[in-house]
Amino acid sequence: MSAQYHPLVKRLLDGELSLAELPAELRAEGEQALRLIRGVDRAPVTLPATLDARVMATVRRHAASPVRRAWRRLTAPRDVELRLRVRPWTVWAGALAAAAAVVLLVSRAPAPSSPPRDAGLPARVASHDSVYVRFVLYAPGAQRVTVAGTFNQWDQNAAPLRPAGTNGVWATTLAVPIGQHQYAFIVDGERWVADPRAPAVDDGFGRRNSVVAVIAQGARTL
Amino acid sequence: MGLRDGATDGEIVRAVLAGDVERFAVLVCRYRDRYARYATRMLGSGDAAEDAVQDALVRAFDHLADCREPDKFAGWLFLILRNRCFAERRRRTRMERPLELADEAFAASGRPDGELEQAERSQALTAALQHLTAEQREVFVLKHVEGLPYDDIARLTGATVASLKMRMHRAYDRLRELLQEHA
Repeated sequence: MSAQYHPLVKRLLDGELSLAELPAELRAEGEQALRLIRGVDRAPVTLPATLDARVMATVRRHAASPVRRAWRRLTAPRDVELRLRVRPWTVWAGALAAAAAVVLLVSRAPAPSSPPRDAGLPARVASHDSVYVRFVLYAPGAQRVTVAGTFNQWDQNAAPLRPAGTNGVWATTLAVPIGQHQYAFIVDGERWVADPRAPAVDDGFGRRNSVVAVIAQGARTL
Repeated sequence: MGLRDGATDGEIVRAVLAGDVERFAVLVCRYRDRYARYATRMLGSGDAAEDAVQDALVRAFDHLADCREPDKFAGWLFLILRNRCFAERRRRTRMERPLELADEAFAASGRPDGELEQAERSQALTAALQHLTAEQREVFVLKHVEGLPYDDIARLTGATVASLKMRMHRAYDRLRELLQEHA
């Protein structure tokens, strides 16, 4: 007799087939296998009632143990709620900074070999990370106009504008790093003027600063 | 609080975790006998099963905070008991020959008339089970002693139905071989 049951007999033992479904030549083997399974002791097992008392005595001892209590406190998983209070302007600032960073990383253009040929905003790429931007202000009667901003550390003498003709228009072209910048014009060395063509934000000191976003493709007022 | 507590396992687990240690007695009462048969058949000894169940319940209390789904405490406790039984089997394998009673039981199965009495047959099979691997024995016990379908066994143990069937079929062959050898 083979030591292994026929696969169909194993399916019989698994309850997937009945004895009648076995081929006639396997029925004797099937009956013998079923006798084996009938020997299974399915009688319920009842443990002594004293087990409850023993378990609970141990449990109480463990619950009272300061070492175990400390260990449970250390190892017990907890739900932790993190709350982040964000002011709306920080979200916008973060988003703009992220956008500028993306633009900086993705859209770098090669430096041109020649300076800008024409005026107007926006201008051309100045280098890998800066773009020529033309600043224009209508200031009839002014003797001196400069532009200061985050791109030149607010140095009010670093970027003078020149008269563009005789009709009171002043202009200059600067290589401005890619990114978002705030700026303002200074008329005659004392009057700070926001660019009327650009949006402005409060500088926190009672003045208004203009805002420009410089990307590789040029400058864009927001 | 009486032990005929109608609360769900999850409610009791949460109460115990909140500091009501005595409510754990409800879970002890609820599960000690439910898993006693499994432990007895796995370990082949009532005393060993009692130790295993007691140890599993205490471990369950000690690690109750790790029970991620308190409403599934029963399955979680079963896994603790299962690990305990497997560890005990490994320890015995290293320390001693498995079950001295086995040969006596097999001897009883060799009656001349070939017709085993139910008790003798049961005794022989119980002894033979101890010669299976722990995995084979477990699937046999869960299917033929506890009466669970393969799907439920797979959920309990984490094994696939296909691998459980393979273990079981090898167990059938091994049992046949063992009982023939001693017949």
